[in-house]
Amino acid sequence: MLQSSPFNYRRIILWIGRLVLGAIFVYAGFAKLLMPNTHLWPMFFLKFSVSTNLTMFQQQVESYKMLSPAAAGLLAHTLPFVEIVVGLMLVVGWGLRIWASVVTLIMVGFLSVVTRAYLLHMDINCGCFGTPEKLTGMTVVRDASFSALAVLMTCFAFIEARKPHPWNAATPEHSTGPHANQTVSS
Amino acid sequence: MNRRLSTVSASLLTVLACGTLLRAVPPNQNAQTKTTAAKKAAPPKAPEAPAVSTATISVNGVTDIDPTKAFGSKTAPVVVEIYSDFQCPACKQLFLNTTQKVMDNYVNTGKIYLVHRDFPLPMHAYSRVAASYSRAAAHIGKCEAVEMVLFQNQEKWETNGDVKGIVAGVLSPAEMKKVQAIVDAKTLEPMIEKDKQLGLTLPVTQTPTSVFHTKGQNYPYAGTLSYDVLKEFLDQLIAQK
Repeated sequence: MLQSSPFNYRRIILWIGRLVLGAIFVYAGFAKLLMPNTHLWPMFFLKFSVSTNLTMFQQQVESYKMLSPAAAGLLAHTLPFVEIVVGLMLVVGWGLRIWASVVTLIMVGFLSVVTRAYLLHMDINCGCFGTPEKLTGMTVVRDASFSALAVLMTCFAFIEARKPHPWNAATPEHSTGPHANQTVSS
Repeated sequence: MNRRLSTVSASLLTVLACGTLLRAVPPNQNAQTKTTAAKKAAPPKAPEAPAVSTATISVNGVTDIDPTKAFGSKTAPVVVEIYSDFQCPACKQLFLNTTQKVMDNYVNTGKIYLVHRDFPLPMHAYSRVAASYSRAAAHIGKCEAVEMVLFQNQEKWETNGDVKGIVAGVLSPAEMKKVQAIVDAKTLEPMIEKDKQLGLTLPVTQTPTSVFHTKGQNYPYAGTLSYDVLKEFLDQLIAQK
């Protein structure tokens, strides 16, 4: 009989991290594309809405004063899509170590940028979820929490990946069923 | 008994006399006091403000338009309202990079009727002052010049509040005198407030916010618009049947 995966705290945190961070990333990506302008039909309204929202996001990126306008434009027009893809991959759970590492890198990047802006007393919008949201101490705390969860999730993903899966490494003392007494001849 | 009665009577009379003396202030002294107080309280007499019209118009279902802050043909198929704050950096970008091209290519060709609405944000200390000067300048026919100079020099006047100095740079002394008189008289403040209230009912949550009106539909868009993207959108909006 096949055994289920062991239920331990690492797997709990992995599940929480995947679901929470995955959902947040997907929401953040969609919010940047579709908020605050949400006119979707006809198609040219949708194109215009998305363009306007991304232009606004570009301004928010530029307000951090870390990138050139061209670099900020490139980042603003690619990051939402990256967030959606990464978030979906986390939720699905395929290639978890890779996507968890990517999420960790992105979250640590966000945390460092937001912390820098906060320490410099920059009066800017966070730009995290599309709509104007003032950058405050709570933004730093929130990003730090998500970064910690991402780091834990990544570490545990690597640890769990080292352990053999119960379905793959069937040892004699753990085997049950009709073939349990057979031995493999050399 | 007689002594007591006389003491009481004397006291009463004394009280009455004092009261009468206190109440009887000579009328001349009163008038003089009031006049002096009035003279102290009255501000210096401002120069007479030129007569300005606060009448508004309606175009294609869009009401309460100040005609001095609107441009283009009233029969244009699309009406665009832009709610902006003179101290807002994004509004500056929109005005300098996009609105000027829209004026040249769409407003002056009769495709769009453009309405400027003032929406001074509370966190900007001098935006209402700038809106007052801009509105006053619009009523003497100098709207575009003053709006341009205000946005171009935004970084200067937002730090020191010298909106008047910036505006004076593009107006003749006679024009500046008229504008200052209108600003001091606060004749056009209700129009700025009306724009603000209209924005709040939309609701405008950030500046700039552009509202596109066509065929009875209203489409508000928040944020900066690049001309290339806006051009494509406007062409398709105008081509809608």
